[in-house]
Amino acid sequence: MQDATTRTDGSPAPGPVRGPDTVDDDTVRAALGRYLTRTSGHRTEITHFSRKSSGFSWITFGFEARSASGADRMLILRVGPPNGLFAPYSVQPQVHALQSLAGTGVPVPALVAFEQGGAEIGHPFFICEHIEGAVPAPWAASMLADGHKRAIALQFLSILGKLHRIDARATPLATRPDKSDERAEVGAVAAWRASLARPTARYYPLLDWGGKWLQDNCPLPPRRTIVHGDYRIGNFIERDGTIVAILDWELTHVGDPHEDLAWALMPTFNARSRKLYGVIERAEVIDLYQRASGITVSARSLAFYEAFALYQAAAIQMCAVRAFEVDRFNDMRMAVMASQMPSIIRAFERALEAAA
Amino acid sequence: MSTSYERQIDGIIEALQAHVLPNNADDFIRGQVFSVIFALNGLKLAADWKAGPLLQQVRVQDDAFAAVRRLADGMAHPEIPAAPRIEGDIVDAAHIEGLRDDGDRLLGQLLLWATGEGVRADNPLAASEIERLLRGSICDQLKVELATTPKSMLQQIAGGDGDKAATPG
Repeated sequence: MQDATTRTDGSPAPGPVRGPDTVDDDTVRAALGRYLTRTSGHRTEITHFSRKSSGFSWITFGFEARSASGADRMLILRVGPPNGLFAPYSVQPQVHALQSLAGTGVPVPALVAFEQGGAEIGHPFFICEHIEGAVPAPWAASMLADGHKRAIALQFLSILGKLHRIDARATPLATRPDKSDERAEVGAVAAWRASLARPTARYYPLLDWGGKWLQDNCPLPPRRTIVHGDYRIGNFIERDGTIVAILDWELTHVGDPHEDLAWALMPTFNARSRKLYGVIERAEVIDLYQRASGITVSARSLAFYEAFALYQAAAIQMCAVRAFEVDRFNDMRMAVMASQMPSIIRAFERALEAAA
Repeated sequence: MSTSYERQIDGIIEALQAHVLPNNADDFIRGQVFSVIFALNGLKLAADWKAGPLLQQVRVQDDAFAAVRRLADGMAHPEIPAAPRIEGDIVDAAHIEGLRDDGDRLLGQLLLWATGEGVRADNPLAASEIERLLRGSICDQLKVELATTPKSMLQQIAGGDGDKAATPG
């Protein structure tokens, strides 16, 4: 068992693994019971096991672990499918993030265990605590009152500021797996370019040209921080008007903090509104973020990262196409994502014009 | 289209078989699902993507190639194919899609060339004009695809909720 309390970051990076071709719920449930029984030393029964519909990448299950020792725990299991959106999967970014942020002002679920090698389950996975609360849908015009949304949005920005104040160099996230000398933020652009250049992806001339422009014109960051990578409305749990956990750390890395701010401002994640959560104007968002983070926002860098956000969105759609078409991932949502490409690329072209 | 027609049909059938049928014991609903699977298998054998929008995209590309050829007269440039690339009534969608994809690659090479430092230094006005023309043409192509894209149902797809399905168009 790679226990969260004993595993440290000095260990060698485990390589991505490939297990059985599909993730079958019944098989996972049985394997999970065997795994927890073995690693806890007590017979553990899995109850209330169910697949959560949310999430397009890691497969998420909720369950209760009933142990002969008498301790029942509500937990979350996240499994990286062998043919999923970003396969092959590594648990490292999420594990490092959850470990590094425990006890800071950034609320995260407590990590319980993880296995890059898959153990009994056969695919990379990690287990964390279940946190009660609601996950707001970013695409819908929420039925929540504006006052409630504003209170949440203010916390959302405050937490982002806290995240960006953390000294990234003191965390395992600062260790680049590729050992490259390239600037970290340029490396992030290059990684998406490489993803789009895979031979099975359809070629889009504006993405090829725009990706080169982004790589050639990537601004220097005000300072390098932990970047969540998918910081948006919908990636947190709120309970009684309080954000109690920030979720989905799979794209976390060290880079330019403008990246998170630009991603959070994308209208797609704010019910098509230019306002954060539909309630806070852009200028106020910037002002609040600057005060929370201590970072002065550069209009030029923000425009660059708004273009980059759309480029990433396009690359993610292409990952979905590949997962569905080439790797035969059995999820029709992947096929549907491909239909968004024309509108995303047109928006990207306009954003590049603004950033140039 | 970024996913192939046959794979789309297979994916729908797989989703019904793997996710819908195992979770439904109602005989009538199961009969409906099996009928849908049968109909989809029929469509797989008898139908394909529409050729019209693909043909329209190839024609937009051809117009761009012809315009770039005029603007780049006398300059050393990447390959520009002779247009029109399709004569007569070709209805083989796969063939037209191949031409469209080839055209996209050539447009990408031309755009990278026109925005390169060498061309910008030697012929700044022509380079800017070619860049503007290519970007506009590629966006026009995207408009053709948008016309055949249904309205987004991301909210329902991501959350699995909502009674109202978006209508096409």
